[in-house]
Amino acid sequence: MSPTQILEIEDIEKHFGGLAALDGVNAHVESGKLTAIIGPNGAGKTTLFNVITGILPPAAGRVKFLGQDITNKPVHEISKLGLARTLQIKSVFNGMTVRENLWIAAQSRDGVFKPFQRASASSRANQVADQLCEELGLTQFANQEAANLSYGDIALLEIGIALATEPKLLLLDEPICGMGPAETEQTVEKIRNLAKRIDIVIIEHDIEVVFEVSDEVIVMAQGKVLARGTPAEISTNAEVRTAYLGDDDDA
Amino acid sequence: MTPDKINRLGIVAVALFTLLAPWILPVFVDEFWVDIYSEMLIWSLLAASVNLLFGYVGLLSFGQALFFGMGMYGVAIGIAKIGLGFWPAFGFGILLSTTMALITGFLAVRLTWHYFAIITVVFSLIFYFTALSWKPLTGGDDGLSFTMPPIFSFGEETAISLTDPTVQYYFIVLMVGACYALMGVVLKSPLGRAFRTVKENDMRAALIGLNVYMIRLTAFVIAGFVAGVAGALFAFFGRYASATYMFYHVSGEAVVWAIIGGAGTLLGPVVGTTLLITLREELSDVWEHYLIVVGVIVIVVVIFAPKGLGGLWMGMVNRIFDKSANGNQPKEGGE
Repeated sequence: MSPTQILEIEDIEKHFGGLAALDGVNAHVESGKLTAIIGPNGAGKTTLFNVITGILPPAAGRVKFLGQDITNKPVHEISKLGLARTLQIKSVFNGMTVRENLWIAAQSRDGVFKPFQRASASSRANQVADQLCEELGLTQFANQEAANLSYGDIALLEIGIALATEPKLLLLDEPICGMGPAETEQTVEKIRNLAKRIDIVIIEHDIEVVFEVSDEVIVMAQGKVLARGTPAEISTNAEVRTAYLGDDDDA
Repeated sequence: MTPDKINRLGIVAVALFTLLAPWILPVFVDEFWVDIYSEMLIWSLLAASVNLLFGYVGLLSFGQALFFGMGMYGVAIGIAKIGLGFWPAFGFGILLSTTMALITGFLAVRLTWHYFAIITVVFSLIFYFTALSWKPLTGGDDGLSFTMPPIFSFGEETAISLTDPTVQYYFIVLMVGACYALMGVVLKSPLGRAFRTVKENDMRAALIGLNVYMIRLTAFVIAGFVAGVAGALFAFFGRYASATYMFYHVSGEAVVWAIIGGAGTLLGPVVGTTLLITLREELSDVWEHYLIVVGVIVIVVVIFAPKGLGGLWMGMVNRIFDKSANGNQPKEGGE
């Protein structure tokens, strides 16, 4: 393995009934670059994330993270290795406060099987939670239940939960989906800042955003990798244009 | 004053009432209510065991009477068949129920929702029929009674035993109180918060690196332990064990007590159990169809106070203080 490859995906296959959702996917993610995965609906992008994070077992193939084989490892063990992700449908702990959401994610690194210790005495997790509240601009909502937040703030909180686990690689599944223009701009800015210290892979439909933030683009179609390259290369790739961007000149 | 302090005051009030009940209750009602109250406290532990699973980890068990039964038979068999003393029999009952929770939980917590509910019923039915048919050991239909061994004895003459009603009352209070204290500590720990994350969103919990299966299993074993203590105490209370108390009907009653009292609040089960057993004691003699009243109460509570009476109380306290403090007060979320 080359030391810059943080994630390696080898010949991954996944079928749902007769449908090949992933049909021999080969890809890698290089450290230090923000990688985007694009492709039409049904291309297998989210399924690929589900296989990488252990939510779905692949029918064939291997996933290696930091050189270690993580295929078929349980979800929580993969998380402990330093791989975090957000979900397409925003997923936080609704009935818990914003601070508790971040706290438990941080505490997961120190272990939770401590029945006789007071949760409020976990100083490291407390510190991480407070710091992330501040960083994400959620301090004013810290003691409110997550369910009361606006959609954009829930998306931010979900990213915060992922960050609280101190990941080495962060997978973002359509982070700006459903956001207004102002929220989009803020979130894109945050993702760009994050990419300076963590490796990020992002699934995104908004081509403009993808070309703006990413260093490397992987194009998927029908369960396969169609093309890979810099945004400039992808935007001029004839195959991609026909398959995905359409033949028009708007890309 | 904060909502937290109000709640603590409520706990102190319940504790004070419980400690003074042998003097307070006879002033207002017949003396046998002291006995009934100690029985309520025991049953409230069974409801608390349901609540720990349903209110905190999101698993609805209709089989907690199984672990109650294990605690009960452990004590009765320990004393009547094996010849154990008081404490070894108590320990044997709790050990039996906790081990049973570990074994059944190993399979049950792989499932959630209705599948989990069904498998807990199945387990409790299997052992209910086992207890009924294994006559030499359990006494079958007749149950198994025993003579109370002393708690402590000094020489031939002096012994402290549950045959003294005061000793019995305070022994039950002490043990039930210890169980609630234990649950209170666990629920405020990192493990207690992990319980809640599993209830809220098990996928997200796994994605942040929590072992959801182990967390559910731990909760299941603690719940089995608590139900086992209740069963053991109940055996001491009645000097008797019977398969009747292992039937899933009993589990179902505990679910109702927990939901009415407030799933997800520590002392909700005490409120629910006390209320519904009082109702049973008062109404069942007067009207044999009193369960209709219970049914109506359940429907009203589920519709208008989904978090039960405990949740209603917390909501009220929080609302009062939200107003006076501009919503800056932390919500305790039923810890």
